[in-house]
Amino acid sequence: MFAYAVRRVLQLLVVLFGLTLLMFALLKTMPGDPARIMAGLGATPESIEVIRHKLGLYDPLHVQYWRLISGLFNGQLQAMTYHKPVWTVILERLPATAELGILGLLLSLVVSIPAGLLSAIYRNSPLDYGVTTAALIGISIPVFWLALMLMMLFGVILHILPVSGRGETLLGWSFLTVDGFRHLIIPSVALSSVLMALNARLTRASMLEVMRQEYIDTARAKGLRESVVLIKHAFRNALAPLVTNIGLQVGTIFAGAVLTETTTAWPGIGRLVVDSILRRDQSVVFGVALFMATCYLISYLFVDLLYAYIDPRITYD
Amino acid sequence: MLRKMAVCLFVSLLVFGLLAVAQTSVPETPGAHVGGTLTVGVSQTFIDMDPRIMNSVYDGYIVDAVFDDLVALDPDTLAPIPCVAKSWEVAKDGSSTTFYLNEGIKFHNGEDLTAEDVAYTFNWIIDPANGSPNASEYEWMQEAVVIDDYTVKILNKPDWTPYCPGIVSESAAVVPKDTCEEMGPEAFNLNPIGSGAYKFVEWVASDHITLERNEDYWLVYPNLDKIVFRPIPNLATMMLELEAGGIDIVDMMPAQDVSRFQADPNVEVQQVPSLTYFHIGFNHSHLPSSDVRFRKACGMSMDMDAAIFSIFQGLTGVRAYGVTPAALWAKDREYLQANAIKENDEEAVQIFNELKAEGIIPENFETTIYCPLDPRRVQLSTILATNLQENGINAQVQPLDWGPLLDLLYRSEADPLGEDFEIYVMGWSGGPDPDNFIYYLFTTENAVVGTANNFSWYSNPEVDRLVKEAATCPGCDQAAREALYVEAQRIAFVEDYADMTGYHYIETQGVRTRVHDYHLDALGDIELCGPSNNVWVDE
Repeated sequence: MFAYAVRRVLQLLVVLFGLTLLMFALLKTMPGDPARIMAGLGATPESIEVIRHKLGLYDPLHVQYWRLISGLFNGQLQAMTYHKPVWTVILERLPATAELGILGLLLSLVVSIPAGLLSAIYRNSPLDYGVTTAALIGISIPVFWLALMLMMLFGVILHILPVSGRGETLLGWSFLTVDGFRHLIIPSVALSSVLMALNARLTRASMLEVMRQEYIDTARAKGLRESVVLIKHAFRNALAPLVTNIGLQVGTIFAGAVLTETTTAWPGIGRLVVDSILRRDQSVVFGVALFMATCYLISYLFVDLLYAYIDPRITYD
Repeated sequence: MLRKMAVCLFVSLLVFGLLAVAQTSVPETPGAHVGGTLTVGVSQTFIDMDPRIMNSVYDGYIVDAVFDDLVALDPDTLAPIPCVAKSWEVAKDGSSTTFYLNEGIKFHNGEDLTAEDVAYTFNWIIDPANGSPNASEYEWMQEAVVIDDYTVKILNKPDWTPYCPGIVSESAAVVPKDTCEEMGPEAFNLNPIGSGAYKFVEWVASDHITLERNEDYWLVYPNLDKIVFRPIPNLATMMLELEAGGIDIVDMMPAQDVSRFQADPNVEVQQVPSLTYFHIGFNHSHLPSSDVRFRKACGMSMDMDAAIFSIFQGLTGVRAYGVTPAALWAKDREYLQANAIKENDEEAVQIFNELKAEGIIPENFETTIYCPLDPRRVQLSTILATNLQENGINAQVQPLDWGPLLDLLYRSEADPLGEDFEIYVMGWSGGPDPDNFIYYLFTTENAVVGTANNFSWYSNPEVDRLVKEAATCPGCDQAAREALYVEAQRIAFVEDYADMTGYHYIETQGVRTRVHDYHLDALGDIELCGPSNNVWVDE
């Protein structure tokens, strides 16, 4: 197991290196002079030149690449439009996205797993149809639209939740204050909608698959109670694909965060990406993309290692 | 959109040698409640708070509250009024303007505001080594010189005498010299210290900026305890916040929401014609768009009045016939409207056919109309493209992000004629003087590779002469300058048909009725406390 983990970490580093090259190439081939965009309309050629020099745009490409990479690791890389190191900018926003993503994921699991289980147990019943229809709607509704509807219903019509923003924070976290937690509800419910639907469908499908296995019949033949059969034998075995899926949902959470955060004025990494792309702040775009990719790859690794614990048949040695 | 905030002081100061003297005071507002928090929704995220490098109208909201301008603007007339400078005097030969400062103004850190600070502010901006994006607003300025503690003289460059735009822009907000030098530009940008009515408290990136009352404000006791600026880029969300009462002022209201909020008893919709100009431009550097007949035939291909009405429904945009916005003088609207090209498809087709026969429009000619990703400009481009197609010109629309769009319109040394484009839709916003529009958009000086504001490279020596004369003629009063600008516009729009005039945007903001003494001005600024007003909110 240890050897496998080391191998995977080394692979991860190689992938990240390739990713940095790819992202650098993309940034350099992206149309639009970042200095001109930053200087704005009507700027003098001198101002544009000063910004180009500040950005080091006249340096050879390998120098620019090395400055980005080394700057990221030694903390010296400055975000042009934020006047701070890139890591500071990312870390300032990380708690907002982290708490949004975690609460969204938890909400989705709390709702989707029981829903998927019930749907599988009462297959082809009105309950099953209800759950699958709700899941289909959840997947189909755009996150930003759902967020707007929730804001209108709970913020404008019922006046029971704040419409947008992050509210009060304690130590950088909203969920630690009542006001902050109230602000967190709408964006996390919106973000959870897609995850909820995916997980409910997956739980249902996985449970149905397991319940067709012979060991389930054996368990029943042994006279075990139905609840024991379902939870201990069926659900535990149905969990493996679900755990894999949850691990892979880190990417979905980041993608959903871009839309959710922009719609609900939530000051997280999703909004940072959008703002930085619009302003051509290459350092921040580079840093955030690398950060997101690293999170994604680590979650993959974690899921792979977790497999062995969930399914004893899997071994990496 | 970026905004050129250049303002010409001598509009009201051209009686040379006259000392302008006015009291810098704010009338008390009877019944005003002191206290409370005002929340302002802003449609973009903040970037800079240092007025010397701030280059966005949204950052200007913060700068307006935290800093004092050398001179302010009267919100109704847009004429300069005293602020830090209690009076000023233009030299008889127009080569300089001397400003006499109010004494007793203190920065938030307790330092006195003196002529040293004023001179430092301007000299820092115009120093090319600092790369201030606002330097172009001060092309006319030679240097700011300290005469004594409370007197500063601004010298004009010889070619620009007595031109003096830019003084009233937010970038002319006075910064404390010693503090700026001590902190450095980056630290000062994150922790601005001004002399304005409200002090900076905190900036939580992408979430909010908080200001609090400056208890020692020299001009008046500010009514509000606290101001919170919240960037909310999604306008639908911002409108929901306004409706729910989560924010008190929204800096922008889309056309589709105007009627709804006009019917809302809790919200007042404030509208003012803005200092903007949006147009369909042509590349004057190569055929066929350099041929006036082609441009006129394009104009005849569409009903611009109907197009503008359909885009704005008469709510947040008004048809432009010249470059000068409705809020300004030298509009010449009646003449330009009477002489505007009307839709005439038959004649347009005939002209296009003539041009094809002459080889000016090549066989299989295809053109692309470029515009930013702004829905209104995309809509205008689409209407033109559809009409051109009906008249035999194969036109497509290509909305572009700012980067590639500027690359295209700024041209390059390798392609100075801009061979890749014929037609584009762009906009401009300026300060309260016609020069800010005509000079930048229609003079040869501004047709420069890599930094053009005159994207079309329209060039007419007579227009250049008239604009220069209007800007720099010693002894001219407003009427004399107006005559020159009117003549220049008639040449550009009626004779040369330099571009297709589109629309002026109408600034539209929503204000909760609990907010008092707040007045939207043509610049779209959010002025909360200064020489003209002192906003307060109900308890």
